[in-house]
Amino acid sequence: MNDILKMMAVLSIICGLAGTSLTALKQATEPMIEEQVLTYVQAPAIKTVLSGYDNDPIKDRKDFDMGGRTVTAFPAIKDGRLMSVAFETSGKGYGGDIGVMVGFDVNSDTLSGIGITTMKETPGVGTRVAEHGFTTQFKGHGIESVELKKQGGDIDAVAGATISSTGTTAAVQKAVSIYKSLKQRLADGWT
Amino acid sequence: MNRLWKEFSKGLWKDLPPFKLVLGLCPVLAVTNTADNGLGMGVAVIFVLTLSNLLVSLVRKLIPAKVRIACFIAISASLVVAVELLMQAFAYPLYQQLGIFVPLIVVNCIILGRAEAFASKNPPLLAVADGLGMGVGFAMSLTFLGALREGLGTGHIFGTNVVWPGFEPLGFMVEAPGAFVSLGVLLCIMNFAENVRRRRKGLRAVEGPTHDCGSCGACGSASNC
Repeated sequence: MNDILKMMAVLSIICGLAGTSLTALKQATEPMIEEQVLTYVQAPAIKTVLSGYDNDPIKDRKDFDMGGRTVTAFPAIKDGRLMSVAFETSGKGYGGDIGVMVGFDVNSDTLSGIGITTMKETPGVGTRVAEHGFTTQFKGHGIESVELKKQGGDIDAVAGATISSTGTTAAVQKAVSIYKSLKQRLADGWT
Repeated sequence: MNRLWKEFSKGLWKDLPPFKLVLGLCPVLAVTNTADNGLGMGVAVIFVLTLSNLLVSLVRKLIPAKVRIACFIAISASLVVAVELLMQAFAYPLYQQLGIFVPLIVVNCIILGRAEAFASKNPPLLAVADGLGMGVGFAMSLTFLGALREGLGTGHIFGTNVVWPGFEPLGFMVEAPGAFVSLGVLLCIMNFAENVRRRRKGLRAVEGPTHDCGSCGACGSASNC
């Protein structure tokens, strides 16, 4: 009986200590990890969807509150004027969520481009949504009716990767709806 | 001091983890496609192994024998999560490369093996020496294997060109099958060399890798040692 109690006590204490110290470490490294993810995951995507800016979109990022959800917007500013803006959204893919960075040109209300940030799609099949042939179709596209051809739009899906293509397009549509509802607030965001 | 050096140095050759103990082969096969990755994984293992040996050795008298494995796993798992967080915070590209293999350090047999076979029976200083030695040996082996595969597979080691012009890279070496082939060939060479050495000393040749059985004593080949 004593033995069992001792076992339980020792194991609980070790697990308790492990849990506490990991929580502390997690809290301490959180801001640094966020910074690293921005630099290594989001920054390359932001560079492909925004262009012609003279600011640092990552340093100037701003969080907007959207009915309880936080959306981080990355602005492209030239000569003090907001040119375009990018958000990251995600859509359901074949192997999990597909993260998509979507850029909007605020003057012409068109997409300035999309870039894939994270995905777990099948290599060589689903991953082709990140390639030029697919993503360039969104560049300069109007923000209305961003749909695959099958749904009556004009985006060509990647052959053999319908789910990945649909997921990516869904993420873009999500970004469009965020853009529409944020549009007014965006203009005042960076002045 | 002598004892410390002995425990440290046995991991460098005599009990070299992947090639002599043949432990922890999953990362050995998986992350050695480049020398960089091998070294990164090795450094993570040095860190986890040394600290887990230290902690296990410190609490070795408090842990009841029946739940020791659970306690060792709890300790090494926490250390691995710590490494993962630190790696994300300070070396994100390395984390992206190593990905799933970092969490897998938890179930790397070397960590549990050293905790069970050495740290739980020896004082902290010796345990640290043992962990450091084994870790360095593991990192060396991974870097060597990584360099070999990267060199043959791409013609570069650590990103610098190492081959003569006209060399045709064997792309196969950096793919998964290349890992098995190169590990097998290396083990073969090491076993052959070991048997040549044993014959010279007048000892009987053995099958399979040899290591210091004092540090495990569990295997069936103990009589050959």
